Amino acid sequence: MEFDLEAEIRKWRDHIRGTGRVGSADLEELEAHLRDGIDELSGCGLDGEEAFLISVRRLGNVTAMGEEFAKVTSENLWRQMVLIPSSPADQRRHARELGIVVILGLLAGVLGKIPATLGYGSMTGGELVYVKNLTFFALVGVGAYLAWKRSLTLRFILAVAGIFVAAAILVNLYPSYGPNNTALLLGVHLPIAFWLLLGLVYGGKGWQRSEIRMDFVRFTGEAFIYAVLIGCGGMVLVGATSVLFDLAGVDASGFIENYLVVFGGLAIPIVAVYLVERKKTVIENIAPVLARVFTPLFLLLIISVLIAVSVSGGVRDSREILISLDLLLAVVLGLVLYTMSAREEEGPMKPSDWLTFGLLLTALILDAVSLSAIIFRLSHYGLSPNRVAALGENVALLVNLLGLAVGYALFVFRKIGYRRIIAAQMRYLPVYFVWTLFVALAFPPLFGFR
Amino acid sequence: MAGAVPEYGLPKDLIAASAVPLLLAILAEGDSYGYAIIKRIRDASAGKIAWSEGMLYPALHRLADQGHVKPCWRQAENGRRRKYYRITEAGSEELARRRTEWAMVNETIELLGGNDNGV
Repeated sequence: MEFDLEAEIRKWRDHIRGTGRVGSADLEELEAHLRDGIDELSGCGLDGEEAFLISVRRLGNVTAMGEEFAKVTSENLWRQMVLIPSSPADQRRHARELGIVVILGLLAGVLGKIPATLGYGSMTGGELVYVKNLTFFALVGVGAYLAWKRSLTLRFILAVAGIFVAAAILVNLYPSYGPNNTALLLGVHLPIAFWLLLGLVYGGKGWQRSEIRMDFVRFTGEAFIYAVLIGCGGMVLVGATSVLFDLAGVDASGFIENYLVVFGGLAIPIVAVYLVERKKTVIENIAPVLARVFTPLFLLLIISVLIAVSVSGGVRDSREILISLDLLLAVVLGLVLYTMSAREEEGPMKPSDWLTFGLLLTALILDAVSLSAIIFRLSHYGLSPNRVAALGENVALLVNLLGLAVGYALFVFRKIGYRRIIAAQMRYLPVYFVWTLFVALAFPPLFGFR
Repeated sequence: MAGAVPEYGLPKDLIAASAVPLLLAILAEGDSYGYAIIKRIRDASAGKIAWSEGMLYPALHRLADQGHVKPCWRQAENGRRRKYYRITEAGSEELARRRTEWAMVNETIELLGGNDNGV
């Protein structure tokens, strides 16, 4: 068989990336190094395969060393001499980073207190002003931290900050009338849109590159899991505060409601992001593991639902059916995305790919069956903002999953390599930004702010 | 790690300790990138000091974190993107400091007794 140098280099890159110890910029640097080595050895008369093997062998030390460095307990001499962050400059930078995170975390809480000082109720009361502004309270700090971490240019930062400010002014100028459907939609969609916008800050200049977008997807998964775990811990803390002060005969509910929940809750995103940023090169990713566990289970679930539908003779007509279908498709997309994020970009079809392919096909069938059963009756319920939003999401997800299914089918028949599927999926991500932003900002005026 | 340090080469601890001043000294000659740096040190030491990639990149990235060198991406003639490193002002100061330290150690060794090389 012909030796395909490019394919071998891609496999090598996947392998190194899979160790999770080399960032994407470092990886590009190592790849340039590998190619320099191959060029030089080829110039000495070695053929492509020999030159590749020797160069990889030399660079193999990089990951081996990385592993040694990752062991905290290691008494490794290199570690002591070269790597341990013992220099004052390093410690200062870490201390400054932590300081920035603490300040931004507090800033989120302070922002969250603004409505109360303006005479609105507390955050736990669920007033609309919080529904509209929670995105800004929680994500402004995250954006600032990432911008600092990436040392972005002032122009870039100002552009993103400008979008934040413009949106914040706009949503607060919007009136809202009962039953406040569009305001609640805004509350759900704006955080998603602005999180995706933070992808720009995360990726910096390289945000258009598919690898960088994939890194942001991984980052999102990890940060989400961290945030959920911290949130669970926070709830235990709140419970303990309440119970223990009760024991002391003091009513702490005012403190909990007005301070603990506001400052603690709003600091969660920035703390989660900070932890993922600090740990990213050492930690094993959790999201792909969850995806691997739940892909077969969801496949089983959808197959049994399809069987149940065919036995019972149809889908039950319900107002919430669109939302349940959207949730299902979103979960399927998440499972595929995080399976993708941990998969090598090269290599033939594997058993786990068949599971993913099956999951895609069955989810599409279920969505098609259910939608065709209700699509004509949708107009009977009227085009409420909720239903239009849910329908739009269904279309966006359906197109995405269809594209993925086609990609997998082509992959099965060896028409395309796996990296083409990833590239296409990464190009599709902005669709979600556009739609969620549209629902958040255009729906209120379109539906008369109701 | 076989082959990272040849038989005739310096012991590991000395390589590690001398990595920073040598790196800074190479970059003081002009901007350079990983592959060329390894070649440069091999040539300059007549093959006596062989750096492995495994120590070079962590050391370079650490210098960059400390602000002693500044990385930047450049396009090579063959279209390949390479990460070049340039020594900063702080790096030059650090190099000067390290030079004095090494000279001091060297002088002390020479001054102390038991030197039968007659140097």
